[in-house]
Amino acid sequence: MRYIKLLSMMVPLLVTMTGCGGGGSDPVSPPPPPVAITKAEAFQFLNQTSFGATEAEAQRVINMRYEAWIDDQLRQPASLQLPHLQSLAFPEVMPFELQADRVDIWFRNALHGDDQLRQRVAFALSEIFVVSHIGSSLNNQPWSLGSYYDLLAQQAFGNFRDLIEAVTLHPAMGVYLSMLGNEKPNPALNIRPDENYARELMQLFSIGLVELNIDGSVRTDGQGLPIPTYDQSIIEGFAHVFTGWNYADAPSFPEARPTYFNQVKPMQLYGDFHDTGAKQLLNGTVLPAGQTGEQDLAAALDNIFEHDNVGPFIAIRLIQRLTTSNPSPGYVERVARVFNNNGAGVRGDLAAVVRAILMDAEARPALHMDIDGKIKEPLLRLTQLWRAYDAQSASGRYPLLASFIFFGQGPLQSPSVFNFFSPFYAPPGEIRDSSLVAPELGIATEYQNTLVTNYFFYQTFALNHTAETLEEDDVFIDFQQEIDAAGDIDALIDLVAGKLLGGEISDTLRTEISGMLERVPDANPVIRAAETIYLVATSPEFAYQR
Amino acid sequence: MARYTRRQFLKSSSAAAVFAATPGLAYSQVVGGGGPFSDYRALVCLFMFGGNDSFNMLVPRSPAEYAAYLASRQNLAIAQEDLLPISPTMGAEDMSFGLHPAMADVKDLFDTGKAAFVANVGPLVEPTTREQYFNKSVALPPQLFSHNDQQDQWHSLKGINVSKTGWAGRMADLIRTGVTGQEMATNASLFGSNLFQSADETIAYVMGPTGPVQFQGFSSDPDGGLFYEQQQAFRRILDAQYGSIYERGFAEIQRRAIDSADRVYTALENASTFEGIFPLITENPTQLENQLRTVAQLIEVRDELQMKRQVFFVAYGGFDTHDDQVDLQPGLLGDVSKALGEFQAALASIGMENQVTTFTQSDFGRTLTSNGDGSDHAWGGHQLVLGGAVAGNNVFGNYPVPEIGGPEDVGGGRFIPSTSADQYAATLARWFGIDEVDLGLVAPNLSNFATRDLGFMIG
Repeated sequence: MRYIKLLSMMVPLLVTMTGCGGGGSDPVSPPPPPVAITKAEAFQFLNQTSFGATEAEAQRVINMRYEAWIDDQLRQPASLQLPHLQSLAFPEVMPFELQADRVDIWFRNALHGDDQLRQRVAFALSEIFVVSHIGSSLNNQPWSLGSYYDLLAQQAFGNFRDLIEAVTLHPAMGVYLSMLGNEKPNPALNIRPDENYARELMQLFSIGLVELNIDGSVRTDGQGLPIPTYDQSIIEGFAHVFTGWNYADAPSFPEARPTYFNQVKPMQLYGDFHDTGAKQLLNGTVLPAGQTGEQDLAAALDNIFEHDNVGPFIAIRLIQRLTTSNPSPGYVERVARVFNNNGAGVRGDLAAVVRAILMDAEARPALHMDIDGKIKEPLLRLTQLWRAYDAQSASGRYPLLASFIFFGQGPLQSPSVFNFFSPFYAPPGEIRDSSLVAPELGIATEYQNTLVTNYFFYQTFALNHTAETLEEDDVFIDFQQEIDAAGDIDALIDLVAGKLLGGEISDTLRTEISGMLERVPDANPVIRAAETIYLVATSPEFAYQR
Repeated sequence: MARYTRRQFLKSSSAAAVFAATPGLAYSQVVGGGGPFSDYRALVCLFMFGGNDSFNMLVPRSPAEYAAYLASRQNLAIAQEDLLPISPTMGAEDMSFGLHPAMADVKDLFDTGKAAFVANVGPLVEPTTREQYFNKSVALPPQLFSHNDQQDQWHSLKGINVSKTGWAGRMADLIRTGVTGQEMATNASLFGSNLFQSADETIAYVMGPTGPVQFQGFSSDPDGGLFYEQQQAFRRILDAQYGSIYERGFAEIQRRAIDSADRVYTALENASTFEGIFPLITENPTQLENQLRTVAQLIEVRDELQMKRQVFFVAYGGFDTHDDQVDLQPGLLGDVSKALGEFQAALASIGMENQVTTFTQSDFGRTLTSNGDGSDHAWGGHQLVLGGAVAGNNVFGNYPVPEIGGPEDVGGGRFIPSTSADQYAATLARWFGIDEVDLGLVAPNLSNFATRDLGFMIG
């Protein structure tokens, strides 16, 4: 993998050098005008930075160029969920009924928000700092989950240190990983602090299990074995740090219960339940005894934030969510260095990290290599289709609560804190044999892929604007343009390929679609349109993000 | 270029792939051992995700040991009078046991000789004492107490090595020449892709909890008109040459889905509904009941699919009881017990009890000590084995005295396993039909342990 990626870096360089002809350029001549961004390149960029490329947005990217488009996106305020959820009537039966509305507002923001990059990064963060309503009492706290997602969107371009503090103190995370209600030891009853959050904060949210070099490679000891980042004593140290916190505004720690109000407020320290002993942290740091809970928390989060692993750890995870499954060591290192220092001496600047990920030569390769890019998450295939075809329902809602069933994933619907798939997942065959990974294929089982394919079948053939029996919450797509073009098979295919593939369609896909369209009885234009969109949306080339 | 060479190498020698995945094993041992099989056998792995607190599943009842248990577990302890008493004919000396009160169906199976426990089993590289653990004089499985790493240990038995295959996957590779007529993969999962069934030569088939789903608008019947054309066109699109490794990987899964779904789906149409044994779909079965009913159906139609050996992966989640353990555990263990009782009844109704062995695995056991209202990640735990071929009504292995600071405790009531997961797996693999000489490929650390067979399989 290393060699292949090095090669991919070198080839454009060689081309450039040859293009210069080896001669010295005139120092006073103006720089050449930038090469125009193609529609396909704009699609690639937008599939990395939004919930799906559209032709209109591609034109904006072409006009503005990447940097200015990113600048504009960094300025967009966050589209929020909680205000919407709070505007709805309190459910008559149980709060969990609002989970469908939470999913609805997620789709509204993902499909229509002006803050596409922010929402896309927030979604990536929600797959790292995982909380979920599945298998959790959070199912009855939709407002807490909405507020948690808003936190991720609002902090997406902030500082990582602030982000982990906000995540740590949010009651949704407190409930999900049981820091909420965690109390100091009671040796008489063999009670010691809960280790859940301490462990997963380090393993999954910040540093990982083993020491990393800045390029993301694993550091090994004299015997060639990976060096663990922490041991049980450090887990226990952090577990003691995270004692004493509970829902805010309660009369006392034991009486703290979730309410409509406190489930969206940061947890509160109840000092009597905080352990005041000394605590072993990372890198040999020991917190002195006698500190307050707030002091312990700030020092402990600083201790994690300063660990050398955070840069490469977060770089790899965000790169995998946004641009490619198998970044080269150089790509990881370039992004990690920006994490360590944004150029102005600031560590943890996520806006700078996101920009570095997107503007890296490996995210915008001049020559395509067959390990560039990634498989799109199934939910992002859906949102891309929906954005391209202006999906809507009569009610205006997108209450796809069963997203995790049809697509194997949904907003804050992970089956566990380990996300829908592992960053290390390698499917058997060519990818695993090449020591590569494809995390998204972890949920692309025969079963799940069939469900996704069938959803697209219903979406195109049944849930479209010509259907006469739509329920008011049925989300349908509009392909009137395709119907109007259906008399000309090539024109129809060009139209769909333009909307979904940025205009680049393989010969095989075009030939097979064309063959099927010839067989459509009476050249029925609705069936021709549906068939074309269906075969493109279920094709490997649509599932692939370049 | 380097990658191409490696792939060529792997393709040139199927045995080399097995070898590469299990360092330290003699190449000459790899002989495709097992079969052809004239009979049918199946293993069903029930994985309890999150780490089952099995020290509350199988509890000592004898006074001294129960007193130690109560002192250790405090507010997590089950009252002595609530335990469901069992009377193993063989077990730890001088200890009597009870089951969690929610496990009445498992108690019945145990009492009738169709279930056994293996006590304090877990991933080990070699036999380990407390002293050796603390002075680091033995090799230990890396990342103890971490969910995914210890799940991987149970799935792969990799020890300190890197492994991309699981022990069920390696079994399937070993017997592949003995099961050539099978119309479905040896390994089938009803709970997603998993390392346990991952292999070098064979691919596990993943279906849903109620079986495969069919592609809408497709027909595999050449007389199927446009639906047949649709399926064929879709298939040809998948067969195209793609420039990206990800497109090729995606297309490969889609191809397998198309090729298997119709065959398995059609075969299942001839299976029983097991009405009166499993709850109907309208009666809100648990996901575990759905999975095990489907497994029973697949076993029932085994001949139609020419199946001789199968490994099924089913799973149930929610066992990571850091919080509210006293409230949650009865539901979790009750669901498991009920589903297993129904599954054994379904197997009995089709005369397949002796051909099917079900066994549990879980991330790890949990701390005996409490974190206030729950328990944390630990190491050794107790596992359940069920079926007509099991030496039932027994507790195998060594059940430690559940005391904090005892000889097996590495802190907080985290117990060093006294039996290794390799021994557990090898005992099952031998019954499944793996040749003695190949057991080391299934369970790579087996040779580090004196006992190669724990004795819980008699069939």
